[in-house]
Amino acid sequence: MTGKAVRMLLALALCTGVGAAASETEACLACHADKGHAIEFPEGERIEAFVDEAEFRASVHGFLACTDCHDRTITPAGHEQRRFRSEELFKLRYSRICRRCHSDEEIAGTEVHDSLLAREADGHAPVCTDCHPAHAVRPAAGGLILAVEEHHCLECHADQAPAAPPAEVGPGDDRARRRVHHNLSCSGCHAGFSVTEHPQGAPAFDGAVPVAPEDICRRCHFDKYTKTHESIHFEMAGRGRPDTPTCLNCHGSHRIVNLSYDRVGSAGKCRECHPKLYATYAASVHGDALVSEHNRDVPICSDCHRAHDIGNPLTQDYRDDIPVMCANCHADAAIVGKYGLSTDVVRTYLSDFHGSTVSIYRDQEAGAYRLPRPIAVCTDCHGTHDIRSMTALGTAGTKALLLTKCRQCHEGAGSDFPDAWLSHYIPSMATAPALYLVDRAYRVLLPLLLLGMLLQVLLHAWRHATGRRGT
Amino acid sequence: MSNAAGGRESLRRFSTARIVEHLALIALFLVLAATGLAQKFHHFELSQWLLSAAGGVDRARQLHHWAGAVLAALIAVHVVTAWVGIFAFRRSFAMLVTPQDFRNAVQDLRYHLAQRERPAACDRYDYKQKFTYWMILISCALMALTGLALWFPVTVARFLPGEAIPLAATLHSHQALVILLVVVVWHVYDSVLNPDVFPLDTSIFTGRMSRTRMRRLHPRELDRLERGSSESVGGGGAPAG
Repeated sequence: MTGKAVRMLLALALCTGVGAAASETEACLACHADKGHAIEFPEGERIEAFVDEAEFRASVHGFLACTDCHDRTITPAGHEQRRFRSEELFKLRYSRICRRCHSDEEIAGTEVHDSLLAREADGHAPVCTDCHPAHAVRPAAGGLILAVEEHHCLECHADQAPAAPPAEVGPGDDRARRRVHHNLSCSGCHAGFSVTEHPQGAPAFDGAVPVAPEDICRRCHFDKYTKTHESIHFEMAGRGRPDTPTCLNCHGSHRIVNLSYDRVGSAGKCRECHPKLYATYAASVHGDALVSEHNRDVPICSDCHRAHDIGNPLTQDYRDDIPVMCANCHADAAIVGKYGLSTDVVRTYLSDFHGSTVSIYRDQEAGAYRLPRPIAVCTDCHGTHDIRSMTALGTAGTKALLLTKCRQCHEGAGSDFPDAWLSHYIPSMATAPALYLVDRAYRVLLPLLLLGMLLQVLLHAWRHATGRRGT
Repeated sequence: MSNAAGGRESLRRFSTARIVEHLALIALFLVLAATGLAQKFHHFELSQWLLSAAGGVDRARQLHHWAGAVLAALIAVHVVTAWVGIFAFRRSFAMLVTPQDFRNAVQDLRYHLAQRERPAACDRYDYKQKFTYWMILISCALMALTGLALWFPVTVARFLPGEAIPLAATLHSHQALVILLVVVVWHVYDSVLNPDVFPLDTSIFTGRMSRTRMRRLHPRELDRLERGSSESVGGGGAPAG
């Protein structure tokens, strides 16, 4: 590019609005980039007339000329001085200038703006610069309020600064590291607080608080909040237990990550109050795989107990659901197939006396009569938090274990009694030849019997219908 | 079945004891089939309705167990009285399966296929009734034994291998279907829908059968009666075959 061309481009730029704005800004900043200038109001209020040049140029309004907002006559000697009765009136005037470009329709649709517009209808005009600093307006995408508020709030509350998620987050899933509330401002949860307001005796969200954390969270997570009402923790709170966990005990407050993706972290939350159970679980075949391999296939606490509507595990309904919980994984070949486990375990259980009884219990009406004795479910033989691999026990070990389990309900069961259970095997010539042969025989003979009888019936009826009867 | 003159006159075939026995059998069969099949096919809505009508599966099982026990007692009494009647009182064993039954079956088959003009001439019990009788009797014995194993598995496993329990469950479950088929398909057709007796063969309820129907269904028995034998009553009766 030649020197002549560069000169032509510069001349062209000076003729355009952009060029004009740039030259005007430079002229204004000659004074306002320095601190010391201020607007003073009769009541003694004072606003610094300082503009951070770097921030302004990085802002979304960096392309505007100063007079686009500050519509006053500027002369080489300076600019006219206007007088306002108060800081509030000054700000209101400039907020109206914002609305020249940013119409009601444009700003409506967000919760904050909608509430402000509603208040405006009642005579309380909003002040845009309370949230959007006049000379440093950030792009909307990326948290315009957050940036301002964080900066403002964190001056004192730096210890609450959102940071990286906790260290126990397992590898392999970046979603587990992503903060889920990065689009929320401080006042999104801390209602009543802003860059200008800071009520005293503020809620700390840590127990004895005027506003329960659930009441904050439910504004967005109403489905989860509703579920917590079915939780044993909610029941505990109703009984006045002070150590009842709330949303924040599991999810944290300022460093919330999505626990769905952080299974180790999720189980770790339960561990805080249930350390003994967690230790048992961590030593089990499931817990060991979670802790040592970060295996995502194994169940964590919330897979069986659920996360928000945690049921009382000592109820009959919960017990009846256990085979379904186990079946969620053990009937799914895509999950258990990887570990050489058979999905027959569920099928064989459900077709047996115990399994079919539990299935019927689940289907029948709640008030129906039930014998006051439990029916064996998966956990009665395999354990609950201490589930271990049965293959390691061997045949004799399994049978010995089964006998002790059988005797819990079947008093006086002999040493052969566990053989009544076919150990989840579908009968075959190898596992239960007598049973297999009898079953096969019936499956062949039953249709033959039906066919033979139907044939006899049809022949008899046909003979009668044709009218060629004897006698 | 009126005791009219001539061809309409009726002959006594069953004693009151047999009539009561059959009524009890019907009632027990209905209770056992309803409470048993509802467990076997518990996913069906009808089953769930039946189980809840019984007051829950545990009540249905109690009902099933005790109905089974009563039926087993009924069968035991039946077998003992038949045994005593046949061997002590020299009554005929009319239910005994004989070569004549197989000949009758073949004759009926030929008749059904229009290869023969007349149906087989049967005695007091035709081969179909004998088939039904023995199927039900043997099945009931099997159901009672396997049912006991399922009712008292711990006790049974002391004397038999543990595998006997699931084997009993399979036998009990499959044999229940055999009984159901025999009763519903075979017996109900033979005694209700059969054009020869429709709308109902009432002889097991009244104890009597008309001479006309006797002539058609049990000609050999009628011949024997007409030759001067006394009227046959009870589980024994006319000599077989």
